Amino acid sequence: MTDRRRLQLSLRWRLAAAFGLGSFLLSSVLAIATWNLSSGYLLRQREQSAVRQAEVNARVIDEEMRRGGEGLDKLLTGLTTGPDSTILLYRPGELRSSGRQIDPSVLPPRLLELARDGIPARQRLVVDGIPVVAVTLPVTAGDVYYVELSPTLQLDRTFRFLSAVLIAGTVVSGLLGVALGAWAGRRALRPLTELTAVAHRIAGGDLRSRLPERADPDLAPLARTFNATADQLEQRALRDARFASDVSHELRSPLTTMMNAAAVLRRRREEIPGTAGRATDLLTSEVDRFARMVVDLLEISRSDQQVDDRSLEPVDLGGLVRHVLATRSDAAAPEVEVDPCAPLVIADRRRLDRVVNNLLDNAERHAGGPVRVAVLRSDHQVRLEIDDRGPGVPAELREQIFERFARGTQAGSRGTDSGSGLGLALVAEHVRRHGGRAWVQDRPGGGARFVVEIPEATTR
Amino acid sequence: MDYRVLLVEDDERIRQALGLALGDEGFDVVESASGEEALHRLDTDVFDVVLLDLTLPGLDGLVVCKALRSRADLRIIIVTARTDTADVIAGLEAGADDYVTKPLVASELAARIRALLRRRRTDLQHAVYRMGDIEIRPDEGIARRAGADLRLTKTEFRLLAELATAEGRIVTREQLLRRVWGYDYYGDTRLLDVHIRRLRCKIERDPDAPEVVITVRGTGYRVDRSP
Repeated sequence: MTDRRRLQLSLRWRLAAAFGLGSFLLSSVLAIATWNLSSGYLLRQREQSAVRQAEVNARVIDEEMRRGGEGLDKLLTGLTTGPDSTILLYRPGELRSSGRQIDPSVLPPRLLELARDGIPARQRLVVDGIPVVAVTLPVTAGDVYYVELSPTLQLDRTFRFLSAVLIAGTVVSGLLGVALGAWAGRRALRPLTELTAVAHRIAGGDLRSRLPERADPDLAPLARTFNATADQLEQRALRDARFASDVSHELRSPLTTMMNAAAVLRRRREEIPGTAGRATDLLTSEVDRFARMVVDLLEISRSDQQVDDRSLEPVDLGGLVRHVLATRSDAAAPEVEVDPCAPLVIADRRRLDRVVNNLLDNAERHAGGPVRVAVLRSDHQVRLEIDDRGPGVPAELREQIFERFARGTQAGSRGTDSGSGLGLALVAEHVRRHGGRAWVQDRPGGGARFVVEIPEATTR
Repeated sequence: MDYRVLLVEDDERIRQALGLALGDEGFDVVESASGEEALHRLDTDVFDVVLLDLTLPGLDGLVVCKALRSRADLRIIIVTARTDTADVIAGLEAGADDYVTKPLVASELAARIRALLRRRRTDLQHAVYRMGDIEIRPDEGIARRAGADLRLTKTEFRLLAELATAEGRIVTREQLLRRVWGYDYYGDTRLLDVHIRRLRCKIERDPDAPEVVITVRGTGYRVDRSP
């Protein structure tokens, strides 16, 4: 299908080709007609004038011969009209010529025969490379006949010029047709181009883009339909956003109540004895887990929405990692390795914070804690590596663990301390949002290595 | 020492739970269900901190915040379920000193309140720092430009004092967040950005081309002592 599409010209170019071809054919027909009419006319004119000239000459020669013929040679010389014209006078047993000398045998015998028979004739010939009109006339009945070859060089030059003009005109009109077709195509397709641009903007998230209203009856329904669809889409997106915001608000409020009530219960645990006390423990710890899950869920659903540019700033990833590690209460501190150049990324600090914290939580929960945290630079990418000495992640699960509510095989192995099931999904989301990617690979020497790569901020 | 806290929250259950928990943390909590009631109470009573919900029936939280901004000794912490950057910035622009988003636990809030109210001790007695024609005396709470009071809020004053006492050295964003707001480490620096902007509006000749409080890209801020 792609091959076919590559072979197929775009609509605009097909239109241009059609215009070009049409205009070329039309002008060809006109050119051919013009050629035929004008060349025929010119040729006839030239032949007629040659014949008239020859008739006059033949009459003069006739008179001269009647007078005796002494001045015939002088007369013949005087009758030649130019250096390229030739006059031949056949008399019985004698051939007189004047003007350009030619070999009489190049003249077609049929022409001479006609003359000999007393029939005037004319023919176009090329004699010694020069185009001529040959006119033969009988001078007196019977034996003497007159042949005049008058050159048609001028006429041929006119024909060449005419044909050149006609061919050039045809080609130019074909090209103009192509140009006109391309222009008309672009003009006719402009609404479509606009439609594409607007659809592109809408797809890119600008739901307020609309097509301009048009008076053109061919286009108005398209614009109206498109705009109505865009309106619906915008309304729907707004409704969805409002719903998400409502859900967020409605969940956060009771959660606040529950968490603070749980805090009071926990603080006054001694006042609640026996079974009620144990139930209180269960309740308070589940409230915490529930709260964590809801907060993560709200965050991940919010990350589906548009990013707010105002929260982006240059962040020193090495510094951020050190700060995060300093605030954690993990059992063993991992080895930290940071590139001395202090690589910067353009990022939302809160999200990056979550990325680092979630990866550390993950190592803590499933692999006995991180053993090495590194911030490196490579090829315009800032690379964060978090290594653990746990069991590693089997190859078939390496994609899956970054999905929502995916749990590792070790999930729950630490009793009550299981996460929301969204930790790594949030990592993947946040990193993707920063134009980077996150994955897990084997750590050399056993365990897993979680890697995050984010494009480095260009300096200034 | 018991701090007096006015809790303005329209959701009764949140109000009760937060009130109980903050009471357990050792605060003297007075509850208020609406903005009008809160303003009325503040006219007759003295509080250290107002915890202000933004979505209030009647008088909106932002309006209440703006109305309270003029009271120099009152700290305002916004407690909100709105987490969008735009909402957070709007709250801070309206004059809040800090904000926390729901769900929150009383212990976290308590730490925040204490940090906000803690008076900074300095070893330097009656020190005076000058940046151009701006003069700040951190111990006496005086900040002046050419002798005229700059009318900074407490938080803005502390921010400027922290930067001034560093005497031109870079103060990182994390240091500022820790020293001014008591954040152990919390990645959100929008709080700082808004306060820096508000501070610049008051002390810079052209807030868009700051000469006193200079941004050090990717790190923090420093003051230029001779702009």
